[in-house]
Amino acid sequence: MAEKRTYEMMYIAAAETSDDDIATLNETITNIIETGGGSVVKMEDMGRRKLAYEINKKNDGYYVLFEIEGSGQEIAELERRMRVNDTIMRYLTVRVDEERKTAQKLTDKREKRQSRNNERNNGSATINQTEETAAEAEDEE
Amino acid sequence: MDKKPKKYEEDDDKKEVESGFDQKNERPVRRYQRRRQSQFVPDYIDWKDVDFLRRFIPERGKIMPRRISGVAAKDQRRVERAIKRARIMALIPFVTD
Repeated sequence: MAEKRTYEMMYIAAAETSDDDIATLNETITNIIETGGGSVVKMEDMGRRKLAYEINKKNDGYYVLFEIEGSGQEIAELERRMRVNDTIMRYLTVRVDEERKTAQKLTDKREKRQSRNNERNNGSATINQTEETAAEAEDEE
Repeated sequence: MDKKPKKYEEDDDKKEVESGFDQKNERPVRRYQRRRQSQFVPDYIDWKDVDFLRRFIPERGKIMPRRISGVAAKDQRRVERAIKRARIMALIPFVTD
């Protein structure tokens, strides 16, 4: 499979887990991914957070987010491991490459339309143009 | 238990149907007002973006219907999916009592 897929994987560990344990856990996860042929694009430690509802009679959790690139095989292995891990209360893997692609398409389409409109009322709109791009940049945020 | 928030219904009537009278056919016509999109929806909806998703969740914790938020059908589906994902990860509550 030559196809590359991008996934977002987030897990919640019990809040009382020590920072060292979290670090080793993240290392094992990275190892699993890399032995499966994937790579970690980004790792984000979101820290301890209040849960929106109780999970396993707990109100807090330690959130970590991974962005993974790979074929999908390593995801299966990763999920199997996480299911049996007691410190991980919950996890979620989401495939994001396709959604990002459609989002990009939408952005491109809108930009094209924008530039076409600008061209149409070129004479009068040269001043507005800068304003519009500024507004667009704000929207992107 | 099944008490719908009253707000929904009132808003609904006001915005969606504007009754008038068709003079030729002598029967009332329902006029639908097409509303502008009141909520800006970005091209990529991030399911981790709690602050954005909260705009679509009234106090009760339910997903805001399209007829209230005025979001396009396509966008509503994307918002919905993001909310559901965020709920699984306990970023957003399923219900608030």
